[in-house]
Amino acid sequence: MSRTTPATPSTTAAPDARGRRLPRQLHPVAWWIWALALATAVSRTNNPLLLFLVLAVLGFVVTARRTEAPWARGFRYYLWLALAVVAVRVVFRAVFATGTTPTDHFLFALPRIPTPDWYAGIRLGGPVSLEALLSAATDGLRLACMLCCIGAANTLANPKRALRVLPGALYELGVAVTVSLSVAPQLVQSVQRVHRARRLRAGRSKGLRALRGIVVPVLEDALERSLRLAAAMDSRGYGRAGTVTARSRRVTGVLMLSGMCGLCAGAYGLLDATAPAPLGFPALGAGALLCVAGLRLGGRRVTRTSYRPDPWRAAEWAVAGCGVVSAVVLFAGTGFDAADLNPSIYPLGWPALPPVPAAAILLAGAAGLAAPPPRAHRPAPVPDHHRTTRDRG
Amino acid sequence: MGSPRTVRALARGAAALAVTAGALTATAAPASAAPQPIGTCTTSAGVVLAVDFSHWGGPVYRSCGTTPTTGFELLNQGGWRTTGTGHDGPAFICRIGYSGHQGGRQYPTSADEDCVLTPPATAYWSYWHADPGENRWEYSRLGAMAYRPKPGSVDLWIFGGTDIEGTEGRPSVTPDQLRARNTRPTGGSQPRPPAPRPADGGGQDQAARPPATRTPAATPPKKPEKPKQPEKTPAPTATPSASPSASASPSPSASVATAPKKTPTDGAKVVDAAPAAEAAHDPGSVWPVVATAALVLVLGGGAGYAARRRRRTE
Repeated sequence: MSRTTPATPSTTAAPDARGRRLPRQLHPVAWWIWALALATAVSRTNNPLLLFLVLAVLGFVVTARRTEAPWARGFRYYLWLALAVVAVRVVFRAVFATGTTPTDHFLFALPRIPTPDWYAGIRLGGPVSLEALLSAATDGLRLACMLCCIGAANTLANPKRALRVLPGALYELGVAVTVSLSVAPQLVQSVQRVHRARRLRAGRSKGLRALRGIVVPVLEDALERSLRLAAAMDSRGYGRAGTVTARSRRVTGVLMLSGMCGLCAGAYGLLDATAPAPLGFPALGAGALLCVAGLRLGGRRVTRTSYRPDPWRAAEWAVAGCGVVSAVVLFAGTGFDAADLNPSIYPLGWPALPPVPAAAILLAGAAGLAAPPPRAHRPAPVPDHHRTTRDRG
Repeated sequence: MGSPRTVRALARGAAALAVTAGALTATAAPASAAPQPIGTCTTSAGVVLAVDFSHWGGPVYRSCGTTPTTGFELLNQGGWRTTGTGHDGPAFICRIGYSGHQGGRQYPTSADEDCVLTPPATAYWSYWHADPGENRWEYSRLGAMAYRPKPGSVDLWIFGGTDIEGTEGRPSVTPDQLRARNTRPTGGSQPRPPAPRPADGGGQDQAARPPATRTPAATPPKKPEKPKQPEKTPAPTATPSASPSASASPSPSASVATAPKKTPTDGAKVVDAAPAAEAAHDPGSVWPVVATAALVLVLGGGAGYAARRRRRTE
């Protein structure tokens, strides 16, 4: 049973008497910057060695620094998803044959489905070579690594506290997202509680009747909780328009809309090589400026103070910096041969491990050491207060 | 019901599969369509392959291969070697190299193009054909693995950008500058009998055929000795009857039916490329893999230690 609001953050990051750092939660934005930067670095390479290194780094950091909150137990699901991505990629490469070269290592042949002449571009079935499967697997592995990076951020960062850094204009949206994010864990808790209560009352019925016995109280619980939440939000002035005028609201809307259009056009201009030059960075910059202005103007409507804001200290700088450095190193391409990032599988050969990118990825792994240890799930048992191990389950 | 029988049937099927697989892997190696010296290609036999390296200051290389073949196989024999993209596999020609040019270095180099995703339409190897006796290029509507050049035709690869209208990025050399003009093989060296396999860039044709019929010596050479129409004039003047495809081609090339306006001399010089040995390929060393495995193990050990400590403090 994790509480929805974390306990008091420690007032200092100084080490305690035994030289260990006091546990605290890292700023969620630091974790997100770290993970997104690592995903950016991953997008640059196709080298299976580097990709496996990234996976190992993610595994290490998540294991070392995750909390016991409900959202912090999900990393293994991201790993399964990653495995599924690789498998789908390999199967598709085998079925939609991309052809084999004369020097390929032939593995097996799938029955070939003939396609008419006008459909000659796509071939179904046919010979499958080791090279084709390996290249599909590395391609899938890259996407899998990026997925795992996002998964690590979700696991490590507290989503509710992350939403608190949203600009004021998005405050209401943020609250809605927070509420919806906490639905699933709360439902699970509710089910567990009802289940335990039934067991204590020796409720032995099984099957459909047991289901009814659980579902009805859970729904009741959810309804009650949402009513309580609504009352709480109402009493705190949620949805209050403040002193804003209709005109300023309209200006905000226009600013935001044109800003978004600018961002879209800028992204299009950057990605399409044939687009006219002014459509690229200038449109993107103008769009970003308009959006910021709109958010600032809209933010005036909500005056809000934050209760115990997350501090941004040296550890946050270190974690975010570790990730950003790895991305910069892989993008700058200095100190190593860029070809090592994308080793060719045709013809088959062992990939090289370029030392500089590998060191950069290991540096990203140092975030696991730079971050303060997470707060233990429960306070450590004190001698005069005995708990049963069962209770801690 | 009848599960032992099912099991037995399955086992038999698996055994058959294993035998087939063994046979397939055993016969998967044999040679593809053969590279030939340039003199072997005539107006009606063999395919001339031309690759334009002028984008990097190189010449237009010209070599010859037997038919039947695919555009892909033609470009992967006699010292030629291509690289595909990580996204599309080997069928998308992303790099081309010839072992007699810059030591087999493939262009564009990895500094220019990483060949991970499909290259942009502004810088890629475009594929052009000229049928026998025809003096205009046609943009290939098929990929290199799907296209089967006709005997006596010319295949050209040029690097650059094209547009949808077909007005940009057309070859600067004409088919007549590249194609074989001799009606019978020249240059002394005896043409080898072509491999009998209708090459498809892959092994599915072998799968359909029992291995015993695959010995090259058993099948008579099909074509190279006699040019079929000795009375026909060598190609340079395109005979109108020979170009029916010029009329109704929906490809970008349809708009430009004449030879390019550039004078032939202002293109890069044409160099004959003899069949060469493969450029040496270094398979690399296994040590980086071992080092990575060690690093992963260390990180895994660290993770395991962290997990244990967490469990203890809980």
